[in-house]
Amino acid sequence: MNAAIRKTAFGPMILAGLVAAVASIAAAHHGFAVFDTSSQKTITGTVREFEWTNPHTWVWVDVPNDKGGVDTWGFEGMSPNFLGRRGWTRKTLQPGDKITVTYFGMKDGSKGGAFLSCKRPSGEQLTMWGGSPTDDN
Amino acid sequence: MILVAKVLRAVVIAAVVLSAFSSGTFAQSFKRPAPAAADWAALAKLPDFNGVWEVRMGPPSGTVNPSGIINPAVGVPPLRPTQLALTPEYEAKRKLLLAHAEQDNQSANCLPPGMPGIMAQPYPMEFLLTPGQVTIVIEAYSQVRHIYTDGRPLPDDPDPNFFGTSVGHWEGDTLVVESIGFSTQTEIEPHVPHSEKMRILERFRLTDPNTMSIETMVTDPEALAAPYVTNRALKRHRSWTIAEYICEQNNRNFVDASGKAGVNLTVPGGPSPAPKQ
Repeated sequence: MNAAIRKTAFGPMILAGLVAAVASIAAAHHGFAVFDTSSQKTITGTVREFEWTNPHTWVWVDVPNDKGGVDTWGFEGMSPNFLGRRGWTRKTLQPGDKITVTYFGMKDGSKGGAFLSCKRPSGEQLTMWGGSPTDDN
Repeated sequence: MILVAKVLRAVVIAAVVLSAFSSGTFAQSFKRPAPAAADWAALAKLPDFNGVWEVRMGPPSGTVNPSGIINPAVGVPPLRPTQLALTPEYEAKRKLLLAHAEQDNQSANCLPPGMPGIMAQPYPMEFLLTPGQVTIVIEAYSQVRHIYTDGRPLPDDPDPNFFGTSVGHWEGDTLVVESIGFSTQTEIEPHVPHSEKMRILERFRLTDPNTMSIETMVTDPEALAAPYVTNRALKRHRSWTIAEYICEQNNRNFVDASGKAGVNLTVPGGPSPAPKQ
């Protein structure tokens, strides 16, 4: 797709750096008090809505539950201002897209978290943190 | 006669009230002359600050020479980064704030951080030079700083606010900005409080055509045991424009009255659909 959205392998070292980056950048708007940053989790579902809004994007994902229905999970991402300069658009994630989200869960266990990256069935990985802005001078 | 006296008294009171207002914060006691063609032409001789600049996260690069001197510009004493040193009273206040650091601050409720934190957000800033003024349009929280370079003095007793009151002047190629009058709602750094006596000195300078160095010196006779100096580098992006940032658009983060953080996970458009089949 473009330089900022690419396949990425998250090793432990990268994750450590990622946690620091996420924490410091997210602190621009708020702390990370509600998220459990001690470990990353993954969950698979279908995009229900992608809110391309400030101060954060929100990825809403319908996830099948064990009762035959679905639960809708919400994942907080970086702002459209930040992502728009790193290759994302409001159409990068669309309703119906199948994705596996990597995230920091909620400390209180509710159905949501901090969006770190996601993977499509094709293997394409989308990250909100990689991709240095282009040199355009 | 009594009526005349009453009218006179009312006029006197009105005059006193008006004069009280006109000597207040919003008085336009300094009137900038209309810019002449020469004033616009003079801008072309200033360093090329105009444009959109990205705040680089992390320590600046390329601005520290081997001697450790940050700003060797002629006539401008260099500022070196220093360690934060609080007075005992403010160290105690900071420890109290840190004790609640697992909770959140008012920026989660979209309250902008003010100075100096607003200059260190992960969003770009646009510099605009016009006669007698430097304007900084800050994307984060859609904020604006006005720095008056028209020779006006700093006010004696400004109302404390988030950005303070700023005046600037040019020393060679360096824009030197002095600011006073800060609300104690702002912080020197996260969890580092200050008094209303805080002053901020900033030096803006190009270290190469597309890199701007900002040296920031915070002084506060009540809060700081020594001046606190930080340096930051901005990178120019000719293709960028400033985007809107309406924090209240869809802010699902919050802190409650006790400072406890939370997130509103209400699904947009209502609850999940009923189970299929």
